[in-house]
Amino acid sequence: MTVSSPGRNTTFRGSSAFWKKVNKDFLPPLIAIFAFLGIWQMLSSSGITLLPGPASLITDERTRELLMYPFYDRGGIDKGMFWQTWASLQRVAISYTLAAAVGIAVGILVGTSPMISKALDPLFLFLRTVPPLAWVPISLAALNKNEPAALFVIFITAVWPILINTAVGVKQIPQDYNNVAKVLKVPRNMYFFNILLPSALPYIFTGLRVAISLAWLAIIAAEIVMSGIVGIGFFIWEAYQNNYISEVILALVWIGAVGLLLDRLMAWLQSVIVPE
Amino acid sequence: MSDFVLVDQVDKSFPLAGGKEYLALKGIDLKIKKGEYISLIGHSGCGKSTLLNMIAGLDLPTGGIVTVDGLVVKQPGPDRMVVFQNYSLLPWKTVRENVMLAVDVVMTEKSKQERKEMAEHYINIVGLSGSIDKLPNEISGGMRQRVAIARALVIQPKLLLLDEPFGVLDALTRGNLQEQLTRICEENEVSALMVTHDVDEAVLMSDRVVMMTNGPGSKIGGILEVDIPRPRKRMEAVKHPSYYQLRSEIIYFLNQQKQVKKMRARKVAVVPRHGLEKVNLEVGFVPLTACAPIAIAKEKGFFAKHGLDEVNLMRESSWRGISDGMTGGYLDAAQMPSGMPLWITLGGAGNQSVPIVSALTMTRNGNAITLDKKFYDQGIRTLADFKQMLQQTRDRQHRLGVVHPSSMHNLLLRYWLASAGIDPDIDVKLKMIPPAQMVVDLKAGTIDGFCVGEPWNLRAAMEGIGFTIATDLEIWQGHPGKVLGVREDWANAYPNTHIALVKALLEACQYCADLSNAEEIRQILARREYIGTSASYIQLGDPNQATCSLDKPMREYAHHLFYGDGVNRPSRTEHLWHMVQMARWGDVPFPRNWVEVLEKTCRVSTFSTAARELGMSELTYARGPIQLFDGSTFNADDPLSYLNNLEIKRDFTMAEIALDSHRIAA
Repeated sequence: MTVSSPGRNTTFRGSSAFWKKVNKDFLPPLIAIFAFLGIWQMLSSSGITLLPGPASLITDERTRELLMYPFYDRGGIDKGMFWQTWASLQRVAISYTLAAAVGIAVGILVGTSPMISKALDPLFLFLRTVPPLAWVPISLAALNKNEPAALFVIFITAVWPILINTAVGVKQIPQDYNNVAKVLKVPRNMYFFNILLPSALPYIFTGLRVAISLAWLAIIAAEIVMSGIVGIGFFIWEAYQNNYISEVILALVWIGAVGLLLDRLMAWLQSVIVPE
Repeated sequence: MSDFVLVDQVDKSFPLAGGKEYLALKGIDLKIKKGEYISLIGHSGCGKSTLLNMIAGLDLPTGGIVTVDGLVVKQPGPDRMVVFQNYSLLPWKTVRENVMLAVDVVMTEKSKQERKEMAEHYINIVGLSGSIDKLPNEISGGMRQRVAIARALVIQPKLLLLDEPFGVLDALTRGNLQEQLTRICEENEVSALMVTHDVDEAVLMSDRVVMMTNGPGSKIGGILEVDIPRPRKRMEAVKHPSYYQLRSEIIYFLNQQKQVKKMRARKVAVVPRHGLEKVNLEVGFVPLTACAPIAIAKEKGFFAKHGLDEVNLMRESSWRGISDGMTGGYLDAAQMPSGMPLWITLGGAGNQSVPIVSALTMTRNGNAITLDKKFYDQGIRTLADFKQMLQQTRDRQHRLGVVHPSSMHNLLLRYWLASAGIDPDIDVKLKMIPPAQMVVDLKAGTIDGFCVGEPWNLRAAMEGIGFTIATDLEIWQGHPGKVLGVREDWANAYPNTHIALVKALLEACQYCADLSNAEEIRQILARREYIGTSASYIQLGDPNQATCSLDKPMREYAHHLFYGDGVNRPSRTEHLWHMVQMARWGDVPFPRNWVEVLEKTCRVSTFSTAARELGMSELTYARGPIQLFDGSTFNADDPLSYLNNLEIKRDFTMAEIALDSHRIAA
């Protein structure tokens, strides 16, 4: 009896602590979301705005179908939301990987060589300020086809934060570590793997996290303009052209959710590879 | 043995914004022998770490060269391993991996297994086997520093460079690590250079302590040999007689540097007034009964009377402070031991000669030789007894304290010992100790006796820890004690001020000599800003009447002579005697142009003018030849043959002293 009573106490306290945590951490955002949706719904039903309310996701038949059956595939570009998103994600995956490889490699080069850094810095500063959408016509003109043009736009958007953060990370390797390397005369390849990379890793990951969000932003921009391809971006554009505004809203929810997931994924990866 | 590390005339400057340069180090010369442990000590920003980095090769000198083992240092290398101030461990590697990295890089000829064993061995030496697989941020600061030391030792460097290795550790960890590191260095015969802020650490760990002056243009201000035997245990080392002397020497040096910095920051304007070139004077003195004229001139308004109304007295704890103050240019004038003007002029205070002149002898007598009370109890009453005792106890070293190489105490004591055939450098050991510290050292047993000015002899006798074996009355009755010294360029720049100063002090001397003022003077001297001791230790009596309140065997105390016929007038013969004696003991070279040096040092004309203006012309009578207790008469005409005929002496050198008046930028 004396043994079981503390145990019960703990479970009791544990569950109460759980609810306290729920109350503290989840209740405020939930209330905010519902308030936001409520106001939105009120505004659209009162006719102040022509935008359909959030309820239209279920009330509108086309949208309900899309919502209920994300996996349908009727050929061509008439596919469920999942397939639309999946196509976009694949593009992101290809270009992002490429951007990461190029960004980290060039970033290390720029970070280790003051000469190259001086030479390329103005160019990089100039190019990174160009918005993703502005790359679309150029890439279309240069590559002629929709698919590679979309890939290029994602790449060129995602590469800058990776490159610049990597360069900063390499430049900011503490002098202490470099002094140790100098005094010990650590060979280049050992220096790279034992000191440079681990030291710059937190910066590189910051770049990667920023880049994944940007890449996801860019895919929508790229696809909207490039007609006739499967992808969530073009899906939005087409829905708008056909005045299916509730479909646009549904797509937005998908995009937001996927963006959030991607960011969380990178955060998790970072916590695994670069322990605090 | 040849020098392992050689730092030769190294300069280092850093470019500043605006195209200027900051000269951090200037003309650094340092040699480190194999297996030696050297500490670099100095204030922050004096370039200690820069020097260390240049030996490491992390930084290159802008002038001069650094060689290690005969090779010029051009880049860093594992033969000169550095233990950095902030450990510099790689945080993503465990203790083992951090150490392994060094072994893997440097010990490439060893097998993987051997390397692993070496790393483990050194981690074991620093006592971290239990934490071998922990990351640096999982262990304490002390443990991290030990990893850094293990990483440095494992590659078996020829030279270990440590940049404030224990700076951020708590006292307990620091103490342990210091002993461990010393032991490891001794066992592995590693040479080491350590930058530190900690005086005790420097004394405890090093063979030599290198003291650096403040920047810009930092130099090596002095190098101290630490003669405490190894292996050293903290608790035993602090009891060694040298420990506190070395410690106070370093602290003195660091304080001095701070003062120099302050003086540089506060550029004093020359204030002319009342027809005098400068009335704002910094006058240095050392707390002794003999400082009475200076104290009285200030307290009784003699300075002000002669127009010097901004005199500031600087109390220095040692004669070293006075000589540094004069050569450093932050004292205008000072009370000096009678030999100091020549000592500084002949380059005793450093390589550079700074001509000093003296126009007034302020006191005579007032010194005595005190021995430990235990010798009295053994029945020692005379110099002969003392010599016999020394011969019977050759197995142990006897230490006697004196205050400065140029002081009459040192010269008298040496003369006294030598007259009995005791070599003052071989049969006993003379140590430089500030006057006020003598009694404490005698009590602690780190010295067996001393020769010093009053009140310290009287105090030792009254406290029952020593007895006066001889006063100056028995060695050289009426010898010069303290004189007034100023730099020659100062005397040339402010001639009227110099005369006014001599007049003020001469009148003060006269006041001190009047017995009816004795009680008042004793009370003034006993105050904190002067001697800071009980008035009962300060005796001012009739110098011609050797009455003494002490018990018979303690001998009478030495009376000061402040004023009278032939007392105050500077005497060339006496200065020559000092010159000869200092050359005899090898402190300074004997100048070939000694007549010229004496003419310049002894400012009789300034004294004569002052005395005449005060209506004291009768004081200018010359004194007769010098009579000492051993019956010898000092021959002022042929000092060299006198010097050559002395039995006990060091090898003395002759040198030409250039006397074109040096100007020191004020």
